[in-house]
Amino acid sequence: MFERLMRALAPRRTVHAHCDIPCGVYDPQQARIEAESCYKIIQKYHDSNDALFKARCIHVKEERAELAKQHIDVMWHDYFKPEHVEKFPDLHDVCWKAAKQASQVKRSLELDDAQKLLELIDKIDKMWRETGGPGTTRMQPAQSAA
Amino acid sequence: MEPTLHEGDWLLVDPAVYRTRSPVPGELVVAVDPRQPERWLVKRVARVAPDGTLTLTGDHPAHAADEEVIGAVDRAELVGRPWLRYWPISRFGRLA
Repeated sequence: MFERLMRALAPRRTVHAHCDIPCGVYDPQQARIEAESCYKIIQKYHDSNDALFKARCIHVKEERAELAKQHIDVMWHDYFKPEHVEKFPDLHDVCWKAAKQASQVKRSLELDDAQKLLELIDKIDKMWRETGGPGTTRMQPAQSAA
Repeated sequence: MEPTLHEGDWLLVDPAVYRTRSPVPGELVVAVDPRQPERWLVKRVARVAPDGTLTLTGDHPAHAADEEVIGAVDRAELVGRPWLRYWPISRFGRLA
């Protein structure tokens, strides 16, 4: 009953206050670093006998997996363009599965789940590289003097 | 648009007020994003040019540069004036 009332009162449209500039900087490594962290945390969880440490592992892993999911979403929604989908017809499927796998890693303590997330992010990374990502979405480091 | 608006706020928008007059600097507007017409923005009016086009800004200090990013907004792109936040109840009230 309350839910029906809330649905009736809820706004019909969403308005945005953020600019979504966008800055144009994209790199799947942001997601990969968080996914690697999740993998290592799961390893450390299983290697530990300390209940408090294990509890912290669960908490921090959930945070990092959520960040991995956000970085995957940014690649999916903001970096990839229609012409990339023509080149990689399974692009949407890969990104969707990666985001779902990040959710799985949030709640899982299986190393296999974290490994699978890394593999899906690597697929995204391959698509980013083969669409010219590194040259167009990353600033090049300053050349150091010889 | 923090601290004036928070993500998830439910707003009532008056669709009529900007039909008969132009907004003035400092007023809140809902406008069609000139860069992405399927997206609506809620911003504050920074300036009104002599030809009636609007420059929009955000209340958060980090969004001071928004006007350069969004660009000038035509009066025809105005949807209305958000005047009331009705959810969450803890921050129910008229918008300034």
